[in-house]
Amino acid sequence: MLNKIGSRLNRILLMVPLILREEGASMEELCDALGAGREEILADLDVLFLCGLPDYGPGDLIDRRILDDRVYLSMADFFSRPLTITTDEALALLVAGEALVGAGFFEPGSPAGSALKKVGDVVPGQGRGSAEEIARHIDVKLGANPGRWWEVIEEGLERGKDLRLEYYSFSRGDVTSRDVEPLSLVTSYGHWYLLAWCRRVEGRRLFRLDRIISVEMIDPTGDGRSDDGLEMPELVGELKPGRNAHYVKLRFSGREGRRLLEEWPAATFTEQDDGTLTVVLRTRNLSWLSRYLIRFGDRLRIESPKKLRKLVREAASKMLEVYG
Amino acid sequence: MEKIERLINLTAYLLESGRPVTFERLCRTVYADVSSKGPALHRMFERDKDELREMGIEVRAETLEPEGETGYTIPRDEYYLPHLELSPAERVALTMVSRLFLGTGTPFSGPAHSALLKFAFDVEGGVDADAVPHVHWVGVPRDRRLLNAILDGLTGHKDLRFSYRSMGSSEPVQREVSPYGLFNRRGSWYLVGRCHLRREVRSFKLDRVTSPIEVNRKKPHKPDFEVPDSFDLRSETRWEWPGGTGGTARVRFEPRLAYGFSGGGARVEGSRRREDGSVDVTYVVEDPEEFVDWILEFGAGARILSPPGLVDLAVERIRGALEAVEGNA
Repeated sequence: MLNKIGSRLNRILLMVPLILREEGASMEELCDALGAGREEILADLDVLFLCGLPDYGPGDLIDRRILDDRVYLSMADFFSRPLTITTDEALALLVAGEALVGAGFFEPGSPAGSALKKVGDVVPGQGRGSAEEIARHIDVKLGANPGRWWEVIEEGLERGKDLRLEYYSFSRGDVTSRDVEPLSLVTSYGHWYLLAWCRRVEGRRLFRLDRIISVEMIDPTGDGRSDDGLEMPELVGELKPGRNAHYVKLRFSGREGRRLLEEWPAATFTEQDDGTLTVVLRTRNLSWLSRYLIRFGDRLRIESPKKLRKLVREAASKMLEVYG
Repeated sequence: MEKIERLINLTAYLLESGRPVTFERLCRTVYADVSSKGPALHRMFERDKDELREMGIEVRAETLEPEGETGYTIPRDEYYLPHLELSPAERVALTMVSRLFLGTGTPFSGPAHSALLKFAFDVEGGVDADAVPHVHWVGVPRDRRLLNAILDGLTGHKDLRFSYRSMGSSEPVQREVSPYGLFNRRGSWYLVGRCHLRREVRSFKLDRVTSPIEVNRKKPHKPDFEVPDSFDLRSETRWEWPGGTGGTARVRFEPRLAYGFSGGGARVEGSRRREDGSVDVTYVVEDPEEFVDWILEFGAGARILSPPGLVDLAVERIRGALEAVEGNA
């Protein structure tokens, strides 16, 4: 993996061709494309301004101008085409490609295979340390194939149809019917989700595929989504617990408490000197949380609320009865 | 002069010059402002070349006639992104592939993103991004540093050192492992490698690693081990099973939850609906702990019937949770 300087150099060597490709590039485009802030981009441009070819006279150095928030470069033609695909990049593609093949998105012998082969062919190096060699030692399995509903969802996506879902809500413990506009399929921690615009709540929602009981394709019932573009929610879980949420404080005897991030990404984690981990989160859903916490056994202390302790005690007692 | 400027100047010069440049010439140009001299300067040049190589920029050395001096160059056909000549179907597939890890906390997200940007240079008019099915991996960057260390170990064949608390033990133990592979199941990362303590190939769950992972920094260019030819990641993952019984597990779901039995991380081998509407399901289980965690989420609505080792593990968790709440009530 690249160190700090390596990553920065990588970004600069990609930034130059992005600017030179057309007549300059807007600051916003650059920030978006390079995943960097304005300040970072400006600092990179300042570095380029000091670089060039021998003898580093005024006519040999790269020139940058910023006009109306648009960035222009000259005297940098030697960087006008990007650096070839690097080992890190090829590795990421090979791992992702394998994962998607494994999950059933691509057939063996599909265009994905031939495209990845073309990528592999341009990456320098063979044998030890090459992307192909490392990729053979990494295996990402994307959980169960989303098969059952994927075809309907994909068709809905392609034809711009809505879907009517019968959905089991774990938090409510009942089945509801939702009309949604499908946007994307998301995998997170071994679960598959449909990311969709829910007409009922007028917002983006994630529906876990294994909790969908049936899918039916229907004509769109409302206007198109009001917001533009597809913006991935970065995290799955209770992002906006709302004002009525309970304030929960937990203490774990080890690092495994970090797993709570999977379901409560907004939780805060504090590691104590004695090696314990304190987690604070907000949720409206104490009942599900109480079942979820059982997996941590005796490595967990519930600091608050008292109600959660009561719920865990109830859930655990009931479960022990089941196991007799 | 900052190091980053020096590396840019070095790359630009060796790329643009078209013919090999001697070290002596570099001293008078790229390295003219550097305070180091003599052997120290030469070491700096060697480190700079290593740095560029890490990034995928190879500085080649050639012997120059007639004096036999060494000249350095970055061949243009190696540096510049070649035209991949992708078919439209290949572009769609590659877009989908490079999107999978976008914006995630894995070490693959950054490189996947820059690869996607590079492909756009190769495509007339670009790819209609909306027409490409969206499949995304979503995660949080909790393991990034551990994963980076493991990737470094895998790439350079260097040993790793960390503390690890194995299933069923309360204290972490220091482990030294030769990393053979890395895999992900149900969102959890596992390191596979030869454990020097146990003297066999084992799987280590990153959630159970209790310290940073240290990569052996001694002799960075010399491998610490060879991965045996017989090693196959996809068949070699050895799971620690409580009680030593591996393989399948049976679970009974109450009627209300019978819809959900196929959703977990384990493969369903068979299922049978009983008269009262409940369903008995047989699973092929990989990681027993993940499996038990998943079943526990169903609360009293699902019960593991067999094997006894997994039943014990479930009961141990439930009892532990009960004792813990009663202890701190």
